[in-house]
Formats: sequence, C-alpha cells, structure tokens
Amino acid sequence: MVELDEAFETVNMVSHENLDVRTITMGISLLDCIDPNLDRLCDKIYRKITESAKDLVKVGDDIGNEYGVPVINKRISITPAALIGGAACKTPEDFVKIAQTLDAAAKEVGVNFIGGYSALVQKGMTNSDRLLIESIPQALAETERVCSSISLGSTRTGINMDAVRLMGEIIIKTAEATKEQDSLGCAKLVVFCNPPDDNPFMAGAFHGVTEADRVINVGVSGPGVVKHELEKIHGQSFEVLCETIKRTAFKVTRVGQLFAKEASSRLGVPFGIVDLSLAPTPAIGDSIADIIQEMGMERAGAPGTTAALAILNDQVKKGGVMASSYVGGLSGAFIPVTEDKAMAEAAEVGALTLEKLEAMTCVCSVGLDMIAIPGSTPATTISGIIADEMAIGMVNQKTTAVRLIPVIGKDVGDFAQFGGLLGEAKIMPVNKFGCGDFVNRGGRIPAPIHSFKN
Amino acid sequence: MSKTIVTLVGKDRVGIIATVCNFFAENNINILDLKQTTSQGYINMMMIVDTDLYEGSVENLNKGLESVGAQVGCIIKAQHEEIFDMMHRI
Repeated sequence: MVELDEAFETVNMVSHENLDVRTITMGISLLDCIDPNLDRLCDKIYRKITESAKDLVKVGDDIGNEYGVPVINKRISITPAALIGGAACKTPEDFVKIAQTLDAAAKEVGVNFIGGYSALVQKGMTNSDRLLIESIPQALAETERVCSSISLGSTRTGINMDAVRLMGEIIIKTAEATKEQDSLGCAKLVVFCNPPDDNPFMAGAFHGVTEADRVINVGVSGPGVVKHELEKIHGQSFEVLCETIKRTAFKVTRVGQLFAKEASSRLGVPFGIVDLSLAPTPAIGDSIADIIQEMGMERAGAPGTTAALAILNDQVKKGGVMASSYVGGLSGAFIPVTEDKAMAEAAEVGALTLEKLEAMTCVCSVGLDMIAIPGSTPATTISGIIADEMAIGMVNQKTTAVRLIPVIGKDVGDFAQFGGLLGEAKIMPVNKFGCGDFVNRGGRIPAPIHSFKN
Repeated sequence: MSKTIVTLVGKDRVGIIATVCNFFAENNINILDLKQTTSQGYINMMMIVDTDLYEGSVENLNKGLESVGAQVGCIIKAQHEEIFDMMHRI
C-alpha cells in the first residue's frame, strides 16, 4: 500500500521539480517503402508514417493525464533516409522532396520533430549518401520539423575524414540557408561517432536497420528532479551524493518504463528501450549545470566539473538500469549549452569554454551540443572540432556527437536565439589557429587497435 | 478494480474532507483508504478510491476535483495507482 509521504513525493516531483516523461518516440522502418519512382516513394512514406503514428500524440497525452505526469514530446524516428531514397533520388533536390514529405507527415500526426534524415557513412559514402548530405542545407531550410544526423565514425570502422571535411562545409551552408533565424537549421543537424540505432532524442534519432518494423522508445525525465533531491543533502559526503542520484534515477526511470509499456500496449507497437539520458531544457531548474553547481562548483566549467559529470552519469546509469527491463539509446547526461539556462550563463561569464566542454564529453554521453559559435568560423575549423570529438568517441568506445551552430552575421559575445526548447546563448569563442592541412588530407582514420577483439 | 490515488494539499479548515467525500459519493466513487496529517495549519491528505463505477473520463474527474479544490482552497489531483507502485516499490 502506498504511504502518504510516498504519494506526496511523487506529487511534488511533478508540481515543483519538473518530473515528466521527456519523449515517447515511435521508430518506424521505411525499408518497405523503397521505390524507384520518387512520387510513389513519397506517397508510400507519407502513408506509412501517418498510419503508424496516427494515435501517437493522443495516446501520449492520455497516459500523461491518467498517471498525472506530463509527456512533453511525441516524436518519430525513421530508417536513415539515404537508404530509402537511394533508388529514387538522382539529385539533392530529389532528397529535399523526401524531407518535405516527412515534414508534412509529422505535421499531420502532430509530432514536433521527425528524425532520420540521415546517412551512415562512418566508413564510406554511397552516391545516395552524398546526395542526401548535399541536400541537407536546403532540406533543413525548407522544412520545420525534420531533423538530420550523419554518422561519421565508429570504433569498429574508424573515422571517415572525407565525410568529416564535407560536413564542415555542409554545416556552414545550412547556417547560411537559415541565417534569417540565427542559423536555426544547424540546431536540427548533428554528426555522430558510434550512434545508437534506438535513440529517442532529437536531433540524432533514427530507426536503425536492425530494428523491428515499428518500436516505442522512451526518454525519461530531465535533470530538475535530481537537482531538487541533491539540494536536500547539500554538503554531504560522496557516498550520500551518489546514493541520492541513484535512488532518484531509479524512480524517474520507473516512470519512463511504465509509460513505455503502456504506450506500447495501447499502440500495439513493441516496446524497444528506455533511454536514461537526463535532457535539460531552458526552463529554470531543469539544468545539468545546476546539478554540477549543487555538487559544489561555483559555476559549471570550474575545475572539478568533469569529475562531477562523471559521477552524475555513472550514478544515473546504476539507478536507471535496475528500473527498466531494456535500457538503450544514448543513456547518459546531455550537456547542451543553449538548451540549458545555467550552462548558457556559465559560458557567458567565461567559466565554460569549448575546450572544457570537449573534456566533459569524455565522461558523459553525446558531445558538443547546441553551441553557438561565430558565423565566420572556417569550415575546416568546424571539421577539426568534429574530428576531435569523433576521436574521443572512437577511442573510448562511446557515442559522441557535434551540434554546432555557426550563427551567420554574429560574433563572439552576440546573442543567438532559437526559441522554445532550443533556447538561447551568447556566442562562444573558437580557437583561431587553423587545421586546414590536417582536414584536407583526405581518406579515413583507421579503426583503433582495441577494436580488434575477434 | 481500477484504483486511483487522490492527493490533496492546502490550508486546513472545517469541512475539507466532507466536501471531497460528498463529491465522490455523488459520482459513484468508492473510498477504499484515507490517510491524512495536519501540520502548522496545513493539511496533506491521500485517498485511494475505486473508480470502476464512475462514468466520466479521467479529464472529467480531474476537472471535478479541481472545482472541489477551488471550493475548499486546496490543490487536489487524481493519478492512477500504478505510478506510485512503480516509483516506490521494487
């Protein structure tokens, strides 16, 4: 029987600490839509998505109402579009048509993002992969809800430096194509090393080819609940700190597990995974930087920050793994800058630099996320930053990513605003020394020695 | 049986529980358990209720409780019991 204090703990977590379920994401395979005729392909894609996900938003809201915990986002991920469009698309513009179809389908079913406008080129690029990548600037400028992700490296294959070089240019072109909105297109574009096939979070969600026809993946609540629990044990030992994070992560993940099972049964779609990642939002108190500061740093980015993040990430996993039957996706802590108010403030006062963020990505999931940089940053410098981040992922056998926003027409200290969940921040400085000769060498970085396990 | 947990928090005064119980009686909702504490003039109450015979939707129930809450100056919420079991029991 539930006790009074337990009931009120849950109620308070929702009303004061931002307990929610961050996303219910339906993965949909589009492999059965492949067709050499572009119009027929787009028609099949639209029908498959709108039929599969027609009840997704309603079911998410219903479950939220019944259990009294809101489901913030309902989203869709699809098979990487480069695989689906290969037979039909002969030009980048053909791929843009697929992006527009995805956008229309997302609007029809009422989801706020659809991910999977993607290519997996960690070892090499097919013609179709190249066309999709070249179409990204136009596709993201002409659509609202489509998210794009490109896999550029993995521990098993090494890093495709040709694709890294190309993506540096594509990120700049995407920024140019959306410069009226502070280069917003780049907020919907992420590059990965070791991307998971079942990530429910945007912009990097896609439905991997090893997945079932359809699947339900759930992302749990954000950092707000953890931060509030840590306030209650302020100044106590690491043992108490770790136990508190673990216990809170367990409870938060149980909610995700319950919602995932319930959504799966109501939609008649198999349950895939629960992603344990703590995803911050610009809402006050819903911040990873606030947790780091509660742990004892004056500002996120101060010495000790990497250790604090390592503790957080590890304890979240220890608590979360026990709470869910299947854990997957990215499952770590996200450290975006613009999407996390206290993180943006730490960057603004100079406590948090790009280099410190890079160090932090060694111990948490994902990587350099939602960082506004000067619009004048050379493409080769962006490629160099990507190569560094991909190397961290490759060598440490973990997922890393880069989502940089070179804001065209703005420079260090200017303010970039993306609105809503994407947030806002001052533009951060980038190392001025060049790396063009390195980036332009061409070819691949071989797989690291510890990938040879057979 | 479909069990719902109703929680109430607010400034204590005469007739809060009576008003809430009347609402449940009028709507065919059976009260299975009730726990409450008061401290420094505030009341925390939890009821476990059976909503099998209730004919409205979850939204209707929450709207009804919201207006009862407004009458007695408290915040009242109804949530499916399972969420509490999941979070607080292994």
